[in-house]
Amino acid sequence: MVVPLGAFIAVSAVLFFIGTAGVLVRRNAVVILMSVELMLNATNLALVAFSRRFSSIDERGSVFVVFIFVVAAAEVAVGLAIVLSAYRNKPTVDVDEIRQLRG
Amino acid sequence: MFDLIEPALFALLTIAIVAAGAGVVLANRITTSALLMAFTFLNIAGMFVLLGAETVAMFQVLIYVGAITVLILYGVMFTPQSPRPYGLFFQTQKYWAALFVVPIAIFVALVAFSFRDSATVGAKGGDLLPLATSVFRDFAFPFEVASVLLLAAMVGAIVLVKRDED
Repeated sequence: MVVPLGAFIAVSAVLFFIGTAGVLVRRNAVVILMSVELMLNATNLALVAFSRRFSSIDERGSVFVVFIFVVAAAEVAVGLAIVLSAYRNKPTVDVDEIRQLRG
Repeated sequence: MFDLIEPALFALLTIAIVAAGAGVVLANRITTSALLMAFTFLNIAGMFVLLGAETVAMFQVLIYVGAITVLILYGVMFTPQSPRPYGLFFQTQKYWAALFVVPIAIFVALVAFSFRDSATVGAKGGDLLPLATSVFRDFAFPFEVASVLLLAAMVGAIVLVKRDED
């Protein structure tokens, strides 16, 4: 008995839906960043599953996973820096209350 | 008997991933969300091991469970907030939301379960050698661009957070 490829893809899709719901529902900027990380991890899972199944020789999909790691690290570092500087300007991380740029 | 170990491990990891991921979104305290996020990342590393991608699993533990979780926890520490209940964004439009979400979910489920064959056909030996060959031969230039991106992100984060000295 083996685990089918579709099962991994289904887990990835469910995790991506959870992350999207987190981005839409939560108002805390740090939790929104965490939900974005969940979505990136869901895509990583799908990429690795397809890569292991369809390209056994050169692992192209896993290479893209490595690049997603890099971009995720850069994204969370810059995102947290922006949240921190906004917090220093006005002590809140609620994205509904950070509205200095609204015209 | 031994061929039941893999599906059992997959079921355990799936339950942990979905439950912890839902906990990240639903938890009221931000620290709980951050730690549940680290737990989700750890279980996804287990999924990678199950798929035979041990190198990617090691990167996952090093970068996500190690570095990104610590960064997020620092972010939580520097932005103290009183926990408060969150309002559901689509509270007034849940039927419209269901109208759009249910067809997308059905489509995704149909696509996912059309892949019925085994997930680990290509899994012979580890993935370190093919991964390294791809990165350093075919993707050498994107690899260097990624290092420039990391440097730019590091400098940008420092400049954004640095206090003005006047």
